[in-house]
Amino acid sequence: MFVDLNIKGSSLENNLVMANECLGYGWNHINFSYNQNDFKQALGFKDDLLNSLDDKISFDYTLEIKSDNVNEIRKIARKFRNKSSCISVVGGDLKVNRAVLENVQIDVLSRPYLKRFEGGMNHVLAKQAVNNNVAVELCFRDVLRSYLSYRSKVISNFKDIYTLYRKFDFPLILSSGAESVFDLRTTLDFISVFKHTGLTDVEIEKSFKTSAEILEFNKNRDKMILKGVRRVDDET
Amino acid sequence: MKLKVLPPTLRKNNRYLTVDIKIDCPISKDDLVTIVWDACVRFQGETNTANFNLWVMKFYEMEKPDDYYCYKAIIRCQRDFVSDVRSSLALANKFNNSRIAITTIGLSGTIKASQKYI
Repeated sequence: MFVDLNIKGSSLENNLVMANECLGYGWNHINFSYNQNDFKQALGFKDDLLNSLDDKISFDYTLEIKSDNVNEIRKIARKFRNKSSCISVVGGDLKVNRAVLENVQIDVLSRPYLKRFEGGMNHVLAKQAVNNNVAVELCFRDVLRSYLSYRSKVISNFKDIYTLYRKFDFPLILSSGAESVFDLRTTLDFISVFKHTGLTDVEIEKSFKTSAEILEFNKNRDKMILKGVRRVDDET
Repeated sequence: MKLKVLPPTLRKNNRYLTVDIKIDCPISKDDLVTIVWDACVRFQGETNTANFNLWVMKFYEMEKPDDYYCYKAIIRCQRDFVSDVRSSLALANKFNNSRIAITTIGLSGTIKASQKYI
């Protein structure tokens, strides 16, 4: 199942165009991401979008938190936890990276390497990601939009993260981060680019599975008492 | 004098990629040739690109949506390098300061078969 958890959401019409394009390119599920200021407004036209798409492709919303303030991130995550199927935080700042990976209420740390000279992760953060089940997201757009030495540096940052991923096996997800139809690619193109950066077929497949598992986990999150303990409806 | 055609065992094995092109400005087949070569040389380097045996076989202009131009093309490459060409083309994003998106929508062993994706 090909899942993309980070397609930049905008108006209803634009979302519709992007969703139809994704459908043609072989994606099964997409998540439109909105920041904390636009998220409520986007929830307003969710039903219209659902009706317009007519079950051709499944979609949901991701809350993408952009902030340098750790306390603010924690507050926003708590506020929107029940309203969104996935909460991701844009990384790059070391304090933010650490705070996010230590927070069980957050699903994804997006682009920990952003505006950095290294991957933005170390063995300590990798262990935290495993313990708290927070996924690390790598964005296709960062490779696409950069060129020459900058592109090499982004790929080098990816490779640093792959090394940690192979040792600690934290959840890793791949997303397009597309802002328009010009950033969308077919699933096979998407896979072949990441294969060239150093991931194997099995790892790429696992990353799609991880994305699907995040969505599945969040469907039952309110019934979760502890990790591994879930309240079930007693039908007997 | 024309060279004699190589026996089948010595010929290169080709694959044909059908690509979907979206771009802000109108382009010709020659522009696409430049775009394809630039993308491959940039991502794979000169020595790797030499193995690809690249050729733009066919170029089609499609119906124009509201905000961009749409084209389709059939590009030839050598059999063992399909994935390399595919990833290079996927990473093309600018041509003459216009946004461009190239994505492979079909792959086949003959030109005739690749035309069903158009």
